[in-house]
Formats: sequence, structure tokens, C-alpha cells
Amino acid sequence: MHRLRVLLLKEWRESLRNKMVLFGVIFLPLFFVAFSVYMGIEAGRTEDPVAQIVLFNTSLIYFMLLPVIIPLAIAVYSIVGEKDQATLEPLLATPISDLELFLGKALASVIPALVVDWLAFGAFLGATRLFVGAVPLQALTAPWIASIFGLSPLLAFFSVLVTMLVSSRASDARAAYQFSSFAVLPGVIPLIVYSTRKTLVDLVLVGIEGAVLLAASVILLYFAIRVFSREQILTRWK
Amino acid sequence: MITARGLTRRFGDLTAVDRLDLDVRKGEVFGFLGPNGAGKTTTVRMLAALIAPTSGEASVAGQRLGRENREIRGRVGVLTETPGLYRRLSARDNLIFFAKLHRVADPAGQAERYLRLFELWDRRAAAAGSLSKGMRQKLAIARALLHEPEVLFLDEPTASLDPESARTVRDLIESLRSKERTIFLCTHNLDEADRLCDRVALFNQRLIVVGEPARLREEMYGRRTVVHLVDPRPGIEDALDLSFVKSVERVDDALVVSLTDPDRENPLLVERLVELGVGVRYVNELRMSLEDLYLDLMEDDDASS
Repeated sequence: MHRLRVLLLKEWRESLRNKMVLFGVIFLPLFFVAFSVYMGIEAGRTEDPVAQIVLFNTSLIYFMLLPVIIPLAIAVYSIVGEKDQATLEPLLATPISDLELFLGKALASVIPALVVDWLAFGAFLGATRLFVGAVPLQALTAPWIASIFGLSPLLAFFSVLVTMLVSSRASDARAAYQFSSFAVLPGVIPLIVYSTRKTLVDLVLVGIEGAVLLAASVILLYFAIRVFSREQILTRWK
Repeated sequence: MITARGLTRRFGDLTAVDRLDLDVRKGEVFGFLGPNGAGKTTTVRMLAALIAPTSGEASVAGQRLGRENREIRGRVGVLTETPGLYRRLSARDNLIFFAKLHRVADPAGQAERYLRLFELWDRRAAAAGSLSKGMRQKLAIARALLHEPEVLFLDEPTASLDPESARTVRDLIESLRSKERTIFLCTHNLDEADRLCDRVALFNQRLIVVGEPARLREEMYGRRTVVHLVDPRPGIEDALDLSFVKSVERVDDALVVSLTDPDRENPLLVERLVELGVGVRYVNELRMSLEDLYLDLMEDDDASS
């Protein structure tokens, strides 16, 4: 645990000095909160129930996108950055275990993503209350809560696993970013379905998406752990 | 301190290291020499418990490779070919991070000690990426030493350094020798290896030869004396009919004489030349360099394979 904590703190210290990562972690959530608040305000103004549903479903998407995008930004620069700086071998020459390295890289991306996502959700509720006069009840229903606190960690984990696998094969951060963005589409597609529905997101849909993500993540985890062995990193990574 | 028996590593059809037998003693500076692609880095990676051998066994700092890899990594320091520093972190933060991974008791204190030792203290807050090449290399060496390892693997430690910094590193290697640290030095700088190493191994996928540089030279070339003559006359080499003279070769105004025991035989040789009426300007021993030895052995190896 000691080495895992040391690695996590180093990862975050490095991320805070990377403008590209900072943009993804700070500015993007601000934009998303602004968009979702706008949707919330518009939903409060309209009398059309279908429009209200579409607007609320769409605003939920922003909180589902953050756990996908933030880990991607952090993990790409964390892993490709290690390769670019040739720091992997000195790091692997320490007594850190393969599992600590894997968890350190994964959690360094997942934890900030969830913290930012939940803070953004809190900001959304606060701002909507400020502008509309009340917290929208639709945002406090079971499917929303299950999405924010159940699906978000799964999405973040799925995203980071995809990014770690892609980054292990890429030598350039931008290429890794592009390929990872493409690869996380399966995690994003269900969210697009949300915005096209004419009924509010329900627990069945959230449950199906959660089950699919969990199954996909277990498969990816198997490969990611294999890829994150010293032997693989030093002899197979490009 | 390091022993290897039949250590082999294959990558598919390619054998990078073939049945390596090695014994490196405690406190020894051991030079590991070979051309690019010879398998030196693979050997270091195996001995530092970074990658597994395909076959064979080894122990490093009393720990068995394969069984006690984590312990080995805690007892060795590795300087890789490139410094490999976190460019956005400061010089000090780089060292503290690695000191913590090695569970050094006082990471900040140990980082300060090595930053001062390498005259980097004034640049401690600078991002590692902003340091000069030489400074980065010194910082990487400091990182390899932070946890006071028993065995130090150094891959081209002076490759990118200016003469002054290179000398600092060489002095440091000398001082580590006196502290009973074992140093496994991979270098292309044969002059450096000659000066620093107690023993050297010439390696090209397999071990070609191992021994003290002076002894290897003697075994390969024998000991030869060069006699510079004042006025050499033709045929003088044939007149040197001494029993201990193994061979005589004329090179310009000098005779290159192969002897068994030059310390004893040189005065007799000069005496004989004077008897023959030849003026002797001066006498010196012909020292073949480690580079000569390396090139000749590698050429032989290429020819035999």
C-alpha cells in the first residue's frame, strides 16, 4: 500500500503540471456543468413533457461522459509519458510490484474522474436550484443516482482499461488519445440512446448498461494485467 | 556477489544471451564489454530481476533470481542507458519519489545528500527536463544510489557527460569500490574500463573472455619491449641471438622484442645491443590497449562464428 500511495501521489503531481491533462480535468467539467445546468433550466421552462424528458436525459449524459473522458486524458499522458521519458525501466527496477504499478496507474485516473464527476453533479444540482428555484426531482430519482454513483465508476474503469491497453501499444500521446477515444465508444453509445428516448432513463436500462460494462471490464482487466507485467513492458511495449 | 550459471535468454528464435557463466566478487568493478546488440542490456535486465531468463540460474546480493526478485530489486541500483527522469518534476522530487519507493528511512535527507554530492543542490527545484544532459545523467546516477544498493548496474554512465562530469562519475565509481559496493559496468569507453575495472568480460551473446585487463593483454600479446635505436643498421634484428628473445620485429628506428620476463631481461637486452655497437636512445614497454584486445577478440569471434 505504501508504494501504491507513493505512485499515486507522483502521478497526480505530474498531472497537475500537464496543461493537456489539466484542461480535461478542470475546464471540460466546467463546460459540462454549464451545459447541463442550461438543459435543466430549459427543462424547467418548457411545458412539453417529452421535451423535458429529452432535456433531462441529455443533461445526464454529461455526467456519464466525464468518467469516460477524464481517465482517458490522465492515463494516456501517464503511460505514454512514462514511455516518452524512458522512466519505465528505472521505475520497474524498484521493488514496486506489477500489481501496485497497474493499480497505481489505474486509480490515478479513476479517482480524480469520480471526484470531479460527483463534484460536477453537486454543482449541477446547486446551480439548478439557484437558477430555477428548486432541485429538479428527476435528477434525484433512482436511475439517476444509480447512473451517477453506480455506472460512473464502471465507465471510468472501462475507460481506463481501454486507455491502458491502447497506450501500451502507442508511442505517441496524440495517437494513443485518438485510438482510446475510439475504443471507449462502446461505453458511450448507451448514453446516446438516453438522449433519443422519449421516456426517462429507467433502472432496467441502467442495469443492462452496467452489466455489459462490468462484463467488458472483466475481460479487459484480464488482458490489462497481463500487459502490465515487467516482462511485457520491457520486451513487448513499443 | 553475482553468480550466473548457464543464464540464457531467448526472444523467439533470437538468442540474446547464451549460457552465461559469471562470478562477480564483492567490491569489484566489473566491466561488461561488447558491441551494440551483444545482449548486455538483456543481461543487466535479467540480473536486476527485471526480466526472467529462459533458462539457467543466478543469484545477486545473496538472493536467488526468480524466487527473490523483489529483494534483488531492493538491493541493486540500476542506471539505464538513458537517464529516464520525470521531466515535469523537480530534481529533488524525482529523487524523493524513488527514495520512497525503496522505503529509504529519510527520503528528503537522502535526496539532499546526493544532490549535494553531485553538486545539484542549487538546481534542486528545477524541473528535471530543464537540466543539462550532464546534470540529468548525474541525477540518474544519484537515483541509482539513493537506497545504498549493494550492487550497482551502470549502463554507459559517462556516455553523455562533459570531461569534468565524466571525471566526477569516475571518481565516484572509485570511491564506491572502496566502500565495498559491487559495480557492474557496461561501457563502450574501453579506456574508462581499462582504468576503472578490476576485471572485464568481453561478451557477444556469449562470454568470450573474462579476466583482469592487464592479464588478458599479457595472455593475448605477451610482454613486448620497444628499443628505440640511435642509428639502426640493417640486419641488427638477426644479430640478437639471445636465448630469452622470443621474436624481434623491426619497426622504423625501433626494435619490438618479445620477451618472457622483461623486468629481468631488458637490461641484458640493452647490454647485448651496446655490445653490438648499436646506440640505444630509450627503452619502453609496448602496452597494447584494451581497445586493441577488444577489437582483436571480437574479430576472432566474428571469424569463428
